[in-house]
Amino acid sequence: MSFLALTLLAPLLSGLTILALRRAPEALALAGTVLGLIGAVGLFIAASDGTVEAVLPGLPDMPLRLVATPLTAVLALVVATVAVFVLTYATGYMAGDPEKARFFGTMLLFVTAMQGLVLAGDWIMLLAAWEMIGFASYLLIGFWHGRAGVASAATRAFLYTRSADLGLYLGAFLLIGVAGTSEISATLATTGAPALIAGLLMLVAAMGKSAQVPLQDWLQRAMAGPTPVSALLHSATLVAAGAILLIRTAPMMPGGALLAIGIVGGLTAVITGLIALAERDLKRLLAASTASQYGLMLVAIGAGVPIAALLHLIAHAAIKSSLFLGAGVFQHDREGTGLDTLAGAGRARPGIFTGFAIAALALAGIPPLAAFFSKDAIIAAALASTAAPWLLPLALAGSVLTGTYMGRALNVLWTGEAGPARTPVPFMAIGMGVLVALAAGLGFSFGALEHVLGAQIEKPGWIVPAMGLAVALGGLALGWFMAPARLLGPLLAPAQNGFTVAGGMDGLILRPSLSIAAACEAFEQRLLAAQVGLIRNLGLGTARLADRGDDTLFAFSIWIGQQSLRLGQDTRSIDTNFIDAAIFGLVRRIVEAGARARHLQSGLIHRELALTVIGIGLIVIVLLTAPHYF
Amino acid sequence: MGRDLPFLIPEILLSLAVVAMLIAEMVRMARLALWFGLAGLAVATLATLPLLTADTTVFGGTYRIDLLSGWAKLILLPGTAMALLLARAEIAGQQREGSVYSLLCLVTLGALMLAGSGDMMLLVLGVVLTGLGSFALVAYPRDDAATEAGMKYLVFGAVTGSVMIYGLTFWFGGAGSTLFSDLGALEDKPLIAIAGLTAVIVGLGYKASLVPFHFWAPDAYDGAPVSVAAYLSVITKVAALFAFAQVLRDLPVESNWPLVIAMISAVTMTYGYLTALVQTNLVRLIAYSSIAQTGYFLMGIVALGTSAFAIPGLIVLGAAYVAMNLGAFAIILLAGRGLDDIRGFGRRRPAAGVAMVVFLLSLTGIPPLFGFVGKVYLFGAAIDAGYLWLAVIGILNSVLALGVYLRIVVPMYQSAPEATKSFDKPSPRALTAVIGVTAVLTLCMGLLAGLLPG
Repeated sequence: MSFLALTLLAPLLSGLTILALRRAPEALALAGTVLGLIGAVGLFIAASDGTVEAVLPGLPDMPLRLVATPLTAVLALVVATVAVFVLTYATGYMAGDPEKARFFGTMLLFVTAMQGLVLAGDWIMLLAAWEMIGFASYLLIGFWHGRAGVASAATRAFLYTRSADLGLYLGAFLLIGVAGTSEISATLATTGAPALIAGLLMLVAAMGKSAQVPLQDWLQRAMAGPTPVSALLHSATLVAAGAILLIRTAPMMPGGALLAIGIVGGLTAVITGLIALAERDLKRLLAASTASQYGLMLVAIGAGVPIAALLHLIAHAAIKSSLFLGAGVFQHDREGTGLDTLAGAGRARPGIFTGFAIAALALAGIPPLAAFFSKDAIIAAALASTAAPWLLPLALAGSVLTGTYMGRALNVLWTGEAGPARTPVPFMAIGMGVLVALAAGLGFSFGALEHVLGAQIEKPGWIVPAMGLAVALGGLALGWFMAPARLLGPLLAPAQNGFTVAGGMDGLILRPSLSIAAACEAFEQRLLAAQVGLIRNLGLGTARLADRGDDTLFAFSIWIGQQSLRLGQDTRSIDTNFIDAAIFGLVRRIVEAGARARHLQSGLIHRELALTVIGIGLIVIVLLTAPHYF
Repeated sequence: MGRDLPFLIPEILLSLAVVAMLIAEMVRMARLALWFGLAGLAVATLATLPLLTADTTVFGGTYRIDLLSGWAKLILLPGTAMALLLARAEIAGQQREGSVYSLLCLVTLGALMLAGSGDMMLLVLGVVLTGLGSFALVAYPRDDAATEAGMKYLVFGAVTGSVMIYGLTFWFGGAGSTLFSDLGALEDKPLIAIAGLTAVIVGLGYKASLVPFHFWAPDAYDGAPVSVAAYLSVITKVAALFAFAQVLRDLPVESNWPLVIAMISAVTMTYGYLTALVQTNLVRLIAYSSIAQTGYFLMGIVALGTSAFAIPGLIVLGAAYVAMNLGAFAIILLAGRGLDDIRGFGRRRPAAGVAMVVFLLSLTGIPPLFGFVGKVYLFGAAIDAGYLWLAVIGILNSVLALGVYLRIVVPMYQSAPEATKSFDKPSPRALTAVIGVTAVLTLCMGLLAGLLPG
């Protein structure tokens, strides 16, 4: 319970303190994340003995719950660990930035939101954390909002991931409605059609957050933020949220939903793998690779072995943060991340390059590095699944591509001029070094982890490791020795365009909605003024009538004026000047009022009212023709 | 009669305050009128608290003292106080300043009547009372734009009001009573039920600015003083929506009203956000987005009687909406009406900038802000009531909402062009108070939503 509070509150409070004080952001941030890590470790130890739970006041009848089971505690531990070392690295990376406080404050809020999502025990808490992650990532991707294109990239990422949130809202409320409670563990007992529908809706939400095909293109554009942000977003946080959602709801998923998850994941692994191979920018290559690796995790979930997906998620978190941190060092040296710019950058920094290479080999699946074990588990799961004919080829192809694009990246970084020696980067090296060590050695802890989680993976025979190793080595060799243009052939151009179908999300959603918006506006502004049929006649007729009324009124006033004048002249007993002034004043007033009324675009009101009448007619028609009425 | 009066203490106190304000205005002491108004609203709010648990009716069932009307007072009275302060910041020292204050309070009296009405006559009275004051408020500046806006508002009000009264006579004829609680008698008189329902949708739909009865709203908000626009966009709108709930929860479901309200809800939010997406005037942008927000309220009305989330959802979103929309208008008052005026605002005025971001994010429905809680309730209510498609449209629209509100947030943090109007002039104390209070409410009430009615 107290560890639960420490895990969540330490990053939250230090983040708020940084934003309030704007002083010593690095020290406060490190203190907050280290305390959070201690909390997560304690939580993990406590949770392996039994579930830790806290119920907070929330909505009436739907309290907010935090739950640490072995599964959620492991995830919290991963998030906390990556956060500590990424922030250590950021201490060096952001050293010269004038807005450090804002950066570290937002990063910590982001970590808090992610821990909230991981530890959420009810759907409302999960929804809230999910949305906060989206918003915090918007702030982080748009951190350098003054630079060209950054604000729009951040907005795009926010909008795209939010549109997929539809699935989470609907799925969560469907489950709440069926189960009658908002507690996640209780709703997972749902079966039958509701479970299938909810499962597919969760898949939609996960596709958006984890950048699965066809919602993949926002992730690469999100590279506009600082490198530590990418390292955090791509390893254990934002993108992981989708896979975590599916891992947590996997016990509920019926066969149909699992198959859909597996196919989406497999296709993503291959398609984004090809995109990564065709990339000409290191950070964008790594971003595409993230989507591809999450595709492999979805394959494991689809094959019915979510524990394999969890292991790969953990391995990938350490590996991908190492790779991004390495890329960030090269970016510092060469002032850019284009592969042409970075040619030979590795030679100038042999230490950093070694770390990068270890992580790259780990991702490709070279034993005994971390992803070797998790990737084997995924391939074994695909092989044993009932959908093996679909899943196995996709998983293998995704693994080959992993080797290929990592081989290519290593080749580019190593071949070329080294350039002059560089100043040392101690904080960056420490942060990266620990993560690389984890990327290398984590695999050996997987056995113990499976024990804690109570889900042993069957050890595959020799065939799966052999297949995995062959695929990894083959991929690396292809990538090192052959240019992507030759490898991809006719696929090169579409892969470089990110395989966008019909203009991607821009073409499918953004542009149509903008044109509908313009049409609505035109309807309101111009169509109304356009003179059509009945409405025109009505409007003009009324206007003419009003005009005539105006004239009559004018004539009448003049007449009254004249009569009164005559009266005044006749009696001569009252001061004529006074009467004159009063009456001509009155007449002038009325004329002025008429002129003012003519200024009004009163014709428009008639047309708008006519539209209102049409609306009334439609309502009546709906009411009369609606089913189950008569 | 003697039993009824204690339940009306808030309304009576507000009426007394209005009389005092009129007297103060007569002796040209506008500031005194303001203080009378604020004091009256505060006392009336406090007097509401003991009535919150009551669930009864007064005057032979015509006026309801229940959860909805109690919370309406608790939301609308402080909301009016905020609007008074906004008006003070905007028109201090002008002629007729005091009459604006008294009109605002008088319209609120009508709004309370709407939100508690249990009878057709009282509903009409509420519509007329809110209408008459509002026309004058919109036309207050006496320039062309304001006169046109006021005129348009008046013509629309006259037409929709008479349609409503005409339709209500059908209900009276069919049910033999003007009480809403007797509407159950219409169960086997479908045509009569439809005639009255259509008329009520027209009359209250105009007040709440539902599509297609919304045409007056953007012009009226744009022509009126910003503080009046802020007032109209929240107080009369929330009152009309609560009145909708009071009427429809007694109408037999056989007349299919949930379906038609659901369709209007879908059209209203989609049309509102789409049109807001292309506005370049900040007031008009917020006006269209307010129209869209009305669509979300309707999701709760659709679920009345079928979902336990409906009434709490209406109340929570009502409170949240009043706070965040008033706050957003307060910032517009500070920054200016054009979308260009706000460029660089967040850099020059960091605190006010953060407040505006909080309001806009809350309007979008980002947790843990107040607006998120209301929307979660209402999505849940719609799904609970079996209107999954409506929830889908609502959630898709919340993506559009993000696009709409980010159009304001992004330029706020871009660098301001040279030689623009300065944001550096000190803001009036009244304005600072409004921004501070609404921002704190929007920030904190999301976390404390558990205290709200369940």
